[in-house]
Formats: sequence, C-alpha cells, structure tokens
Amino acid sequence: MATEVVIYACQQAVPNPDFLRTQWGKDNIRLQVLPEPCSSKIEAFQLLRTLATPADLVWVIGCAEDLCRYNEGSHRLGNRIAYTQRYLEEVGLESARVGRSVVIPGDSPGLAAALAGIKAQAEALGPSPLKKTGEKGKREKGEKGKKP
Amino acid sequence: MPLKYHIPVRRVPPRLSPLAKTTIIDWNEGCLRCQRCVKEVCPVDAYKKRDFDRKQFVDTIDEICRSCYRCVQGCPKELVFKAMNPQYRQLGDNYYIPEIIATTWYQAETGKIPVSGAGYGGVFAGEGFDSLWTDMSEIVRPTRDGIHGREYISTAIDLGRKPMFLVFDEAGNLLFEPPPLMELPLPVVLAEPPLGANPPRLRQILADAAQTLGTVALMARDAVSDDLMDAVGSLVPQFPVGQLDLNDPLLSRVRAIELTDHPEVISLMESVKQRYPQLMVWIKVDGDLRAPDRVAALATAGAGVIRLKASEQARGLGDAGEVHLKDLIRRTHLKLVEHQMRDAVTLLASGGIALAEHVAKAIICGVDGIIVDIPLLLALECHLCRDCQNGRGDTCPIEMDKLPVKRGAQRLVNLVGAWNNQLLEILGAMGMREVRRLRGEVGRAMFKEDLDKEIFEPLFARPEGASRRSGE
Repeated sequence: MATEVVIYACQQAVPNPDFLRTQWGKDNIRLQVLPEPCSSKIEAFQLLRTLATPADLVWVIGCAEDLCRYNEGSHRLGNRIAYTQRYLEEVGLESARVGRSVVIPGDSPGLAAALAGIKAQAEALGPSPLKKTGEKGKREKGEKGKKP
Repeated sequence: MPLKYHIPVRRVPPRLSPLAKTTIIDWNEGCLRCQRCVKEVCPVDAYKKRDFDRKQFVDTIDEICRSCYRCVQGCPKELVFKAMNPQYRQLGDNYYIPEIIATTWYQAETGKIPVSGAGYGGVFAGEGFDSLWTDMSEIVRPTRDGIHGREYISTAIDLGRKPMFLVFDEAGNLLFEPPPLMELPLPVVLAEPPLGANPPRLRQILADAAQTLGTVALMARDAVSDDLMDAVGSLVPQFPVGQLDLNDPLLSRVRAIELTDHPEVISLMESVKQRYPQLMVWIKVDGDLRAPDRVAALATAGAGVIRLKASEQARGLGDAGEVHLKDLIRRTHLKLVEHQMRDAVTLLASGGIALAEHVAKAIICGVDGIIVDIPLLLALECHLCRDCQNGRGDTCPIEMDKLPVKRGAQRLVNLVGAWNNQLLEILGAMGMREVRRLRGEVGRAMFKEDLDKEIFEPLFARPEGASRRSGE
C-alpha cells in the first residue's frame, strides 16, 4: 500500500513546483503538488477533505509570515493548520498528517530542507491506518464530498 | 433542396472540475457576521454551491464564480480576494495555452460558441493564425434568421480526384468511370492524437464520434482492431512506408486509406486503384520547404487527396521549422494554381489546428479541409501534462481509462459542433453560402505581414541615409 502525499504550495514560496517533483525521488511515496496563489487559499475544510481522500499526508508550504504578499495570509494559514490539527485530535485521528512548512521565497536550500522534512514525516507515518480498515477514501467512488 | 446538416450537440458535464482562470481567497477568520453577508447575495450562489473535487483536490467555487467581484468589493472587512490561479497557468504548453484549453473544454461540454459578453480580451494581432483577420463586411446584413435559419449555408466538401472535364458518347453516356469521391458534411477530419493515455479507448471514442458526425477518423492500420469494425466505414487507416499489403482484408471494407509519401508512392497508389477501384488513396506529405513542389508533382501524377502535415505547433517540418502552417498552405495552394491542378485535387492540412477560427483561416489560405488531433484529446478533459508521453500513463490525472465511450464521443461531437457553428457564423458574416467557395479566398482576409509591408512601411519609411528626426 503506497503512501500518498499532497502538497499545496504557495506560488511565492515555491515559484517552480516542478522543483518539488524532481527533488522528491521517492518511488514508493506518490507526490502531488498543487500550486496556489497564497497558502491562505487553503481552508480547513479543504485540508480535512483532502485527508479524507487516499492522501496520507497533507502539507502546505507557505511564506514566512512577515514576507506574505497578502500580509496576513501566512498567519491565517498557521491558525487554520492549528485548528485542523485540534479537530483531528478531537475525532481521534493523527494530527501529524496535516502540517505546514514556512520558507523564504527564493530560498532553494530552505525549500529542499522543507521537502526533506515532509519526506521524513511521510516515511515515519506511512500509510494511514484508516486505509487498512477500509474507511479511507470510502466515498471515492461516490459523488464529490460536501463542505463540512 | 438537400436536408440540412445538423450536429446533435448535447451538454456533457465534465468529470473533473475545470480549472478556472482566477481563484477566490476567502478569509473566514475575522468575519463581522454582517446581517446580510456578501456571500449570500452572490448572483450565482457560488458560496452555497461550492464543493470539493476529491480527484483534483480543488475547491469548486472557482468553477462556479463568474468573476463579478461583488463579494470582493462588498465585504466590509475585505476578507475576500480574487487572484490568478497558478494551476490554470500551468495547463498546456506555449502553443496550447490555457485559454485554448479552457475554450476547448467549454465547447466540448456545451457544444456552444464561447461568448463572454465582455468583449474580446485577446491581442489585436499576433503571429501565425493571429496575424490573419477575416473580413466579415457582410455582417451588416446578416442572414434573416441566424446561421440555422432558412438560408442554408453548406459546409460540405468533396474529397478525391476531380476530372477536369467529362467526355460523353453520342448516347450521352460517360465515356470513363469517374474516380471515387467522398463527400463530408463538414471540412473537418478527425485523427488519433500523437499522445494520450489508453489509446484503445481513445480510438473507440474517435470512431464513434466520426460516425455521428458523418466524417472520417484517421488512425494507424495496426490500431484498427476488431472492436472498431462497426465503424469501419468511418475509418481511414494509415499505412507507413513499406507496410501496405494488398491482400489486407481491411482494404475492401474501408472507403479510403492514407499512404506516407515516398518515391514509389504513385506506383503503389496505382496498384491499389487497380485492385480496389472504389478505394480512395490519400497521401501524407511532410510540410517541409519542398512540400509545395512535391504536392504539385503528386497532383500532376494523379493523386486525389493530399495531406500537408505540420508540427503540433503549426510549424513546418525539417527545414521549414520557422515557417507557419498558414504560409505553407498558401505556398502549396499557389503552386497547385500555377500548375493548373488546384481544382483536380483535395488538399488537407494537419498539425496545430487548435481553435475553430483556425479551420476558416486554413481554408482561406488554400486547403479544402483540416485534420484535427490534439484538440480532440483536450475535449476529453486532457490537461496536456504529457505524463503519458513520458511513460507515466498510469498516473493520467483525467483517468482516460474510466471514460465511457459514448460520453467521450459526445464531447467530441460537441466540440466539432461548436467549431462548425463558428464556421457558419464566419461564412454568414461574409455573405457566403458554402465553404467550398472560401478555399483560397485571400481577398476575404487581411494578412498583418502584407499590411505592414504595403501600408505602414511606406508611411513610416525614412529616406535612405536620413538620420533620426528630433524627438524620435
């Protein structure tokens, strides 16, 4: 059972999403990178819904808070990640399956280090235990999920 | 009066949420809880209808939003923004740009001409097909009741060798058997795209769509499998050099085949004609700098249908890499005119025909019809990520293997229907009643290069040796 990782990447922090794809180099872990205009585009429901798909780890890469083009965007994302993690804990799921990395736009070594961190996290967590019970991605064949 | 040609378009919703050009950034936190939230008065109820696309991991609000900016301007705390969608900008490549892909998706879904009501947002002139403007002077007197009204506009074309004159005996009987002709109700031939995951499914979809449209679909001989035999009359198998076997049972079942040009192609064509008199032979010629002469030579030698092949980016091949398809077509067309062979043969063009307007523009430049390939793939929601070309077909984001044949075929029919309607609009606006008359009608178009040369260069030309004037 392969692990699947979804990364939402702020386009300021990650101007070239292909960099993440080429640097990934893990055949046993599938990676999907989705560029976004700002990390604050990602709302809590989107993080939870993504986690309800076969994705095992959902990560957001955004800019440092004082460098956010939208001023408050990165800060707001931080709050959303914290909220989502609390929510997951409340319902008895692993909160570590959602997270974020903060990088300085244009800092390639920093981005590579963040990616290494995501990789390590994905390897440490492995496939979601919900996959084994058949709960995960159960509605995959059905219609699109509704916003909670 | 013949029955009007009608393309049965029917809305086919996309399987995936189409990526929108702009995206909404919604900051819920800090909301004032106004009594009348701007999100509640959204004219398209985007905030109520928003959903989550589990396959693409995107919020579908952007697909619903019509970019009226009512929420952006109305929120007192300024918590809603619109931004360009980077996922949209990543679609396609430098030729099949996101706007072309989005337009194709829309046409394949609805079968309608995309009309924004907000004017034309594109560039005034560009290169390639964008450097050619069609003359729609008759638009001041449009047809009385639209393109589908009483004044019939024919989009039919004839494919095949046309005799320059007929000879009758004293009893009025024709003295020779005229060569076979194929009438297509529209100047569009489908072809298997050079990429795409799950090619067998794609071929089934192509064959089905070709049957519905009354046109034909080109595909490699090896790809014509038993499950396509129901639509065999709508297929044109392609034979690479040295691969044609005259005992091939398929030859007696199809209406036409395509051979790749090579020095012996005419003698091969004659052998096919001798054995199968009703079988039409098309010849594919690479669009290099020798193509105009080669096409003229083939026409003189008796070829009936010739396909001029360009690259995916509508450029010539080989040494003609810098020449645009429209220029190649013009050169070839004029060469045939020069040899007094233009009316004897059918000229088709393929490669880089990406939009409806390209059909009319290619015909104005001198072809009888066009061959469309990659846009057919786009109509099936392809993102042109080219993973399938790079050996990663199993990760096709649109899951081509799960696309039902009928559903895919209807999307192709919708796309071609929308293209045909746009052709009808152009013909109607030109005051033309049939597409055959549009072929080579460069008087119905203006070429930017010609205008620059004839109008602007003399106006702004500086006398030889003159220096810049003050203020320049």
